Amino acid sequence: MLSFIARRLSVAIPTLLILVVLSFVLMYSAPGGPFNSERPLPPQVLANIEAKYGLDQPFWKQIVNYVWSVTTQFDFGPSFQYKDRTVNDVIAQGFPVTLTYGFWSFVVAVVVGVSLGIAAAIKQNSWLDYLAVGISVGAQVLPNFVMAPLLTLGLTLGWFWMTGAALLPGGGWEGGVIVAACAEKDNFCFGLPWGGAWRFDYLIMPVIALSTSYMASIARITRSSMLEVLNTNFIRTAKAKGLPMGRVIRKHALKPTMLPVLSYLGPAFVGMITGSVIIDVFFSTGGIGQFFVNSAFNRDYSVIMGITILVGALTMFFNLVVDILYAWIDPKIRY
Amino acid sequence: MTFSHKMMASTAALLIASSSTVWADGHATHPETGETLATDQTFTYRDLDESPSIDPGVAEDSAGGDILRDLFEGLYNQAADGSLEPGVALSHTVSDDNLVYTFTLRDNAKWSDGSPVTAGDFEYAWKRAASPELASPYSWYIELMAIENAAAVIAGEMDPSEMGVTAIDDTTLEVRLSQPLPYFDQMVTHFTTFPVPEAVIAEHGAEWTKPGNMVSNGAYVLTEHVPQEKLVRERNEMYWDNANTIIDKTTSLVINDENVALTRYLAGELDRTDVPAGQFPALQAEYPDQAVSVPLACSYYYTVNMTDTTNPALLDPKVRQALSLAVNRDVVVEAVLAGGQKPAYTFTHWATAGFETPDTPIAGMSQEERDAKAKELMAEAGYGPDNPLSVNLIYNTSEAHKSVAIAITQMWKQTLGVETELANQEWQTFLETRGNQDYELARAGWCADYNEASTFLDLMQSESGYNDAKYVNARVDELLAEAKTSDNPQAAYTEVEQIISAEVPIIPIYHYAAVKMFAENLEGWPLENFQQNWYSKDLYKVAE
Repeated sequence: MLSFIARRLSVAIPTLLILVVLSFVLMYSAPGGPFNSERPLPPQVLANIEAKYGLDQPFWKQIVNYVWSVTTQFDFGPSFQYKDRTVNDVIAQGFPVTLTYGFWSFVVAVVVGVSLGIAAAIKQNSWLDYLAVGISVGAQVLPNFVMAPLLTLGLTLGWFWMTGAALLPGGGWEGGVIVAACAEKDNFCFGLPWGGAWRFDYLIMPVIALSTSYMASIARITRSSMLEVLNTNFIRTAKAKGLPMGRVIRKHALKPTMLPVLSYLGPAFVGMITGSVIIDVFFSTGGIGQFFVNSAFNRDYSVIMGITILVGALTMFFNLVVDILYAWIDPKIRY
Repeated sequence: MTFSHKMMASTAALLIASSSTVWADGHATHPETGETLATDQTFTYRDLDESPSIDPGVAEDSAGGDILRDLFEGLYNQAADGSLEPGVALSHTVSDDNLVYTFTLRDNAKWSDGSPVTAGDFEYAWKRAASPELASPYSWYIELMAIENAAAVIAGEMDPSEMGVTAIDDTTLEVRLSQPLPYFDQMVTHFTTFPVPEAVIAEHGAEWTKPGNMVSNGAYVLTEHVPQEKLVRERNEMYWDNANTIIDKTTSLVINDENVALTRYLAGELDRTDVPAGQFPALQAEYPDQAVSVPLACSYYYTVNMTDTTNPALLDPKVRQALSLAVNRDVVVEAVLAGGQKPAYTFTHWATAGFETPDTPIAGMSQEERDAKAKELMAEAGYGPDNPLSVNLIYNTSEAHKSVAIAITQMWKQTLGVETELANQEWQTFLETRGNQDYELARAGWCADYNEASTFLDLMQSESGYNDAKYVNARVDELLAEAKTSDNPQAAYTEVEQIISAEVPIIPIYHYAAVKMFAENLEGWPLENFQQNWYSKDLYKVAE
């Protein structure tokens, strides 16, 4: 196992390097540049700026310098768009936000999705099955850019019009979940015995909007996988032994059922914790998802690179985690 | 004293006590208008996006300007109507040749750390903004101010110390210009000219704009900044006019989507937001006291490629005139945009200070007359039903630009039989295509840098880097040069506008308006300020 992990990590580094170089080339081949605007800068001013950011150097030198500072100093450079900040600042501020709502979305999606899937499979073709399938199809066809404004309209504006105070704030982050104390307007805030408070006000709508479509996919995969497992010989054997159904599911069916779900969860988890531009835009969370898209529009090369590397590294890491979990779940898989 | 007397006395005492508490709490009044003020004096508004920078020397966008006018104070401020008000400077004198400006600064202006604001802080800030080391994207503004040697400093040919700005003493600032500039005093209200604290910048470097590090001299100080989420500024106790400042705290929230922002405004989370395109009439009907449309210093136009890479038909002035005449601007502003914009027949925005919109033949006609004239010109140019003209029009991806483009191309088709191929391009690609004259017709917009007509018309100068039409007219160049030194440039501007209207290097379409929602109890907004330059210190909330 250790040699497997070592092998995977040794492949990961060249993969990341290829990712860096490819993104760099693709980015520079796109028309425009970070300092173009409706009002083109006078050539001398542009030259000063390009010299400051090293954009006046030959292309190969820029790549080499970039890779060098990333690998040796973990320095992703200054943002070209947000001139007061570095890429490290952008990631340090935005990533914890998306990590928080992404993690909670993941928990909700997995718990609800897996439960729905299992319930549907056990009671196949019953009303429970139809309900579960109905919910997951419904969640799937309501994309988050529809969910998000609907939630705000209902829980913020609709509630405000009916009661005079919104149930949930229409957006913002305000420091997230762990806060010093609850404010008067917080509806979902709980003081903690050891001081401080947990506040979910700013988290609930992003989590619902982000988790639903993932939840639907997880439910479908779980259901079909469970159905397949329930028809295998070892389950029939377990049932024939007279084991109670609950025990059969827990002890025998659950682990093999999770195999296809797991291979979906790896990339899904990365997708969730690196945020979604829709969630960030609709709920003004300040998360990293919108930077990814905006920086591409603004040709903010250093931010695009920084976030690409972050997402790339996380994807590789969680794929590795999934592979390790595979071996733990399925004894037939050995590395 | 009988029981009832006692009762009355105690009730009276109670009444007096309670009313005086209310008095102390909520009955503060505005020093000038006498209106009763609300207890809560916080102002929260929506910004479309995070500003690239909040360093006055580096900042480049108008939202950043709103923040900086709260945090810093320049030589002059703008009053509600856009006229000049003393800021750090109390007054100035100009030399006889109009080349030397001497500003007298107030002696009670302080930085938020208590140290005095001096002429030296301005000298430092201006030289810093021009220096190649800072590489500010707005260094061109210092050059635009025609400060002696500024161009050479930006080009790296001279040391910043040779620039024409000198602190004679702590309260006297001398500025030397390379050429007379009639609107120079207007330009010192802009954020690039705000003072910056040298000692703080030396201590913190690029980190100096972070809360806790930043020292500023405006009515507010930066207390919280979460990029892409919010920026909070609170009352600066050191500000010289702090006693007359009413708003205690201003928060700008970054909300990218204007519909989300409107929802949050309606739920009481915001005091000001922007009205999404097309929703103004409905909102105005429902919230007449809150939905407001005011002129905004930008012009929307289509630029015509006048180089040899263009469609040869567009080199014929008759074709260009016909295209301009056939645009029914009233339909564009009333049906498509519906936000209080005004039809444009000149490039310069109608509300520009000291600018009188000149008479042009096109402005005086009815749309029927324009259409008839357009058909006539098109026929003279050799195009008609048998030989329809085909052109390309590009615009940058946006729903609003798309709607305008579709409406206009339909007008061209119905009136003139012109076939237009529309193409939208992603912003950066669009800028490159347009800047390289790789187009026939292209959407464009221009916003004023200062409140004077040359901020628009200088684009028509042959050598201007922003002249995407590559329009060359020696008479226009001559007139624009003349206007720079003239005491009354209106005659020159009128002639330039008339030449543009006849030759049509650009097709003006409309003059912008800002459509906003303002909380009912928010007062003091400078609705008449055409650049929409507002200051939190001038706002207040009245009790409801």
